[in-house]
Amino acid sequence: MRSQRIRGLLMVAPPVLVVALFVGFPVLTAAMYTLGHTGGPNSVVASIGQRQHFADHWWGTTDAYAEVFASQQFQRSVVATVIVTVVSVAVTLTLAWAIALYVRLSGSRVAKVFSALAVVPLFIPVVIASYAILTFYASDGFVRTVAALLGWESAPTFSYTMVAVTIAQVWVNLPFGVLMMTSGLAAVPDVLIDAARDAGASLPRAVVSVLVPLNLVPTVIVASFTGIAVLGSFTVPYLTGPSAPNMLGPLMTNTFGAFNQPQQAQVMAMVVFAIAAGIGAVYVWANFRSAKRSGAVL
Amino acid sequence: MKFLVAGVASTVALAAAGCGGENTSAGSSGEGKTVRLYIGGDVNVRGLWEKTLIPAFREAHPGYDVRVTFSEHGVNDTTTLAKLGAAVKADQDAGFDLADSGLVRQAATSGLLAKVDTTSVPNLANVDESALEPVDHAAVPYRGSSVVLAYNSSKVKEPPQTLDELLAWIKANPGKFTYNSPSTGGSGQSFVTTVLDKFLSEEDRQKMVEGYVPELESLWDEGFAVLKELHPAIYQGVYPNGNQDVLNLLGKGEIWMAPVWSDMALSSMESGLLGPEIKLTQIRNPSFTGGAAYLGMPKNARNKEAALKLLNWVLEPEQQQKIVEVLAGYPAINLEKMPAEVQEKFAGLETQNLRLTYSQKMISDLNNLWQQKVPG
Repeated sequence: MRSQRIRGLLMVAPPVLVVALFVGFPVLTAAMYTLGHTGGPNSVVASIGQRQHFADHWWGTTDAYAEVFASQQFQRSVVATVIVTVVSVAVTLTLAWAIALYVRLSGSRVAKVFSALAVVPLFIPVVIASYAILTFYASDGFVRTVAALLGWESAPTFSYTMVAVTIAQVWVNLPFGVLMMTSGLAAVPDVLIDAARDAGASLPRAVVSVLVPLNLVPTVIVASFTGIAVLGSFTVPYLTGPSAPNMLGPLMTNTFGAFNQPQQAQVMAMVVFAIAAGIGAVYVWANFRSAKRSGAVL
Repeated sequence: MKFLVAGVASTVALAAAGCGGENTSAGSSGEGKTVRLYIGGDVNVRGLWEKTLIPAFREAHPGYDVRVTFSEHGVNDTTTLAKLGAAVKADQDAGFDLADSGLVRQAATSGLLAKVDTTSVPNLANVDESALEPVDHAAVPYRGSSVVLAYNSSKVKEPPQTLDELLAWIKANPGKFTYNSPSTGGSGQSFVTTVLDKFLSEEDRQKMVEGYVPELESLWDEGFAVLKELHPAIYQGVYPNGNQDVLNLLGKGEIWMAPVWSDMALSSMESGLLGPEIKLTQIRNPSFTGGAAYLGMPKNARNKEAALKLLNWVLEPEQQQKIVEVLAGYPAINLEKMPAEVQEKFAGLETQNLRLTYSQKMISDLNNLWQQKVPG
């Protein structure tokens, strides 16, 4: 029993060491740097940066955090990021659920074509998709041209707005959502739905009482993965978004490079990390719950 | 087991041989024949090197080669400059032997680059002495360009002559002007700098060009207020990312006027991206910034001999003519040394006394303050 335990530890040691070395250590030094510890592994980045705050207590200083949190630029960016994230997740979930339900309940050829089409964006690079969306919704783009032909001259231009960013985020994240949802719903046995229908439940009632609870874990997975992906995205908001206020991804990149303020950029990264950790906790809880139900953990 | 040991041994031997080869090509003794070139700028500069200059250099000097590291829009310039500083201080390899980027001027004045003269680079004899002064004779000017005002002559009959007239025009024609965000390209940066300069004394400005004086940044407030005032008149309230995106808007007729790099605009006209209706002009009081593009070699470059060879070669009239043709840049060597057709092309054009822009660290702060104060 004991040797088995040691063997297990030995097997897990290499990946743990790799994660500790290549992920844990950099995160730790970055956290130290945000607190004003500029020596040791941070000395190189500290010799580069401008407008840094240096530790004045044994534990450091919160000046960098105070500066970033007080900055209006950052506040507006956080608000924009959170709104885009919440809206993108909601829209992605709704669309993925709708497509997956249609496939599950209809099963016709049209439904299958539909779900296959929804996965196509997976094979188109994000940069190309961003430019495509930019031109599609431009002031001389397809949407406004059609609107003008139909007599609506003042149709809104979505390019370079947060609307375009949200549309692009949904486009990028929908394929994963559809794949997860369709496989999740396909795993629900027909007999359960038939039994509910036989007992007199209407179709909506069967969906709410049978399919939704049994598909909860895939839903949480899609929501959390989409949320984290949107939260940290850079390419989509950089290419399709407005100059300001934009999401945190472009702001962090600018702060790190163009403004040469690595400390402030890492403070922002800590904020993103905290939000992402919150989303991650929900994901872990959902997984734990389903594992518990299937008896994998006691 | 024996087989395994032999295999491992041969792998180690191979790896060692590989390292050995690496050492001779990148050794500090300078016998390496591959120049590692760092480029920070737009894709047109990369195109000039990769499609025109490097193939010709390989042909002219068999056995020599150039390897390019490219930083689009020069976004890594600040970090590369700091890395160079640390590398020279510790006598470590900076990762490149030549740099073609905005960081060269500051690296030269900070004493991080090797001095050049007519002994190490004989063709410097053809270069105007005044072009070497801003870099303390520690970098080689190899082409020039400045930011100019591009306008659509079918819509704008009388282009503005001065900065004040330009500002008035922008407000009078809402949605027909934009510039790229200063952190993503020199043309927008030049427009921002020029507006800020309007409110600076010559003395204060000189300090910002030469060094890092954050205490003077409050003098920018007036200029930023003017830029903020322009915001409602900017095309869709958007400042595109990069010089090229502004040219695209101009070419599509979305905007009628914009600050652009002279070289990018001229080569876009040749390729047809910009139609014949687009014309270029320079404004006064103050004019847009510009200057020579410099090539600099770190003091402790690993492949000095090859780098010097490339520096000298690029100043030959033949290569200078290629630069003029491909990039529509100003030649770096005296016009008399150039063929008659090139002399004709630049006759009467002001290619000297270009107004220099601020130092790298001032630009970083300018980017940040602009982002906070102007858009949105």
